[in-house]
Amino acid sequence: MRVFAVAQNTFRESVRDKVLYVLLFFAVATIFGSKAIGWISIGQDIKVMKDICLAAVLLFGVLIAIFVGTTLVHKEIDKRTLYTILARPMRRYEFILGKYAGLSALLGLVTALMTGAAALYILALGGSVDLVFFQAALLIYWELLLVTAFAILLSSLTSPILGAMIVFSIFVIGNGTRILADLPQQFDDITGRRVLELLYYVLPNFSNFNILREAANGVAVSGAYVAWAMLYGTIYAAFLLAAASVAFERKDV
Amino acid sequence: MQAIVTRELSKSYTRLGRPLPASLDKLNLAISENEVFGFLGRNGAGKTTSIKLLCNLLRPTAGQAAIFGNDTRLPEARRHVGYLPENPYFYEYLTPRETVDFYGKLEGLNAPARKKEWDRLAEMFNLGGIQNQRVRTFSKGMRQRLGFAVALVGDPPLLILDEPMSGLDPLGRRLFREIILKLRDEKKTIFFSSHVLSDVEQICDRVGILVKGRLMVEGRLDKLLERRVQLVEVILRGVDKTLEDSLIGQCSAVRRSEAGTHFFVTSLDAGNELVRTAMQCGATLVEFNPVRETLEDYFMHSQEAGSP
Repeated sequence: MRVFAVAQNTFRESVRDKVLYVLLFFAVATIFGSKAIGWISIGQDIKVMKDICLAAVLLFGVLIAIFVGTTLVHKEIDKRTLYTILARPMRRYEFILGKYAGLSALLGLVTALMTGAAALYILALGGSVDLVFFQAALLIYWELLLVTAFAILLSSLTSPILGAMIVFSIFVIGNGTRILADLPQQFDDITGRRVLELLYYVLPNFSNFNILREAANGVAVSGAYVAWAMLYGTIYAAFLLAAASVAFERKDV
Repeated sequence: MQAIVTRELSKSYTRLGRPLPASLDKLNLAISENEVFGFLGRNGAGKTTSIKLLCNLLRPTAGQAAIFGNDTRLPEARRHVGYLPENPYFYEYLTPRETVDFYGKLEGLNAPARKKEWDRLAEMFNLGGIQNQRVRTFSKGMRQRLGFAVALVGDPPLLILDEPMSGLDPLGRRLFREIILKLRDEKKTIFFSSHVLSDVEQICDRVGILVKGRLMVEGRLDKLLERRVQLVEVILRGVDKTLEDSLIGQCSAVRRSEAGTHFFVTSLDAGNELVRTAMQCGATLVEFNPVRETLEDYFMHSQEAGSP
């Protein structure tokens, strides 16, 4: 009940965030503008459009998760709305979970709207949308859930600007962890090699959620792979939320 | 059972690894059920720190606190607490009704119970007329009223109020005072900090005065002020010149009015002695007024005593 109440309120609060509408505007503009780029690639227009549309869903979803997520807890402390909430018979992890659930619900709605708009637009232009397109959108959403967990963790530890920079860096590095896997072999220094290997294992591998190429080309992806990627994201996010709860439990507000 | 108990409760901070003077230093308090306790002190004395420690918003550096026997770090302790922070803030986009409903959910109340709470609190704080207005449009006084209403959601037996009268106009202060007195009659335990000493004097059973993080004085208000009779005014009639001259040596001042001759002495004993002598000589006692120290005087003395 308490987690749900906080989640419901977070959803209502986030829906009123102006950043959301600015980003949504650009996302929709990119989706509808994808036709122009698709037109350049003769005979491949629908394929390119699918690629661009899904990339737009991911990019703007990540920006929403970062910009809204990193301010969520910090704003409550800054505006002191937290005082009367935490003085209730509520555990702090319930508050963190409520915040996470509220933003996750918002991102679910935003992803569904953007994916739906993209699918309808592609269909209207004579293209076809198959299952893998929606599987790709589902994994994008799971990736956003993981980014949101990072944002919530950073929001309970540091300022929104620093938090946003760190989460964005993790997102960028996490999409290139394969580079981290190859790099250690090029290092002579054992310590440097160990650090890079540690980073490879500790940082999330966001490419696990990336099936954009398959979606654009209409190549089927097994349900088992999608389920495995979702499980990976869920476990990682649960760990981050647990860390956020521990950090927040010790925080003076 | 004690409503609040603190043992050696302390809070201090560091800056760049160096310790700062303690915000709260070894606070020992015991507040009984159904008691109204006033927590006094200047800005920065540690009142809000103490309250935040009781509400688990801060973690103590040392010591512990319990509410109705439960450690304040446990949610069970906060089940019995209604908290009004200084300058309360709520979600700006909610209406008062939605705000009360939200806190009702946090309290675990079902929908009919939350509606009942709204009806009760809206009547108590005159919120009915503004129930559909967004909090963002509220004045300070309206926010304070809503804050007090939120503190009472779930009808908690203990109320912790941080500067409840702050920012209120005279009407608002009167409303709050009446509500606190009503809650006292309902046997609630009330722990509140205030700068408005006249309100504390009218409402509290017991007070504690904090000076620079340390509890300097703590006790029943009537006892604390009883000890401090500053002056006794004795008004007598039938005092002739000879009697006046003989009494004048025992007094610090004398003046005449239509009521009679006013003698001022510095203690109750001296006043009694003066009355006895005067009445033996045929004078009549009109009034015997011990001029007691007000809470404000007492507060000022405590601050001076606590200063280095």
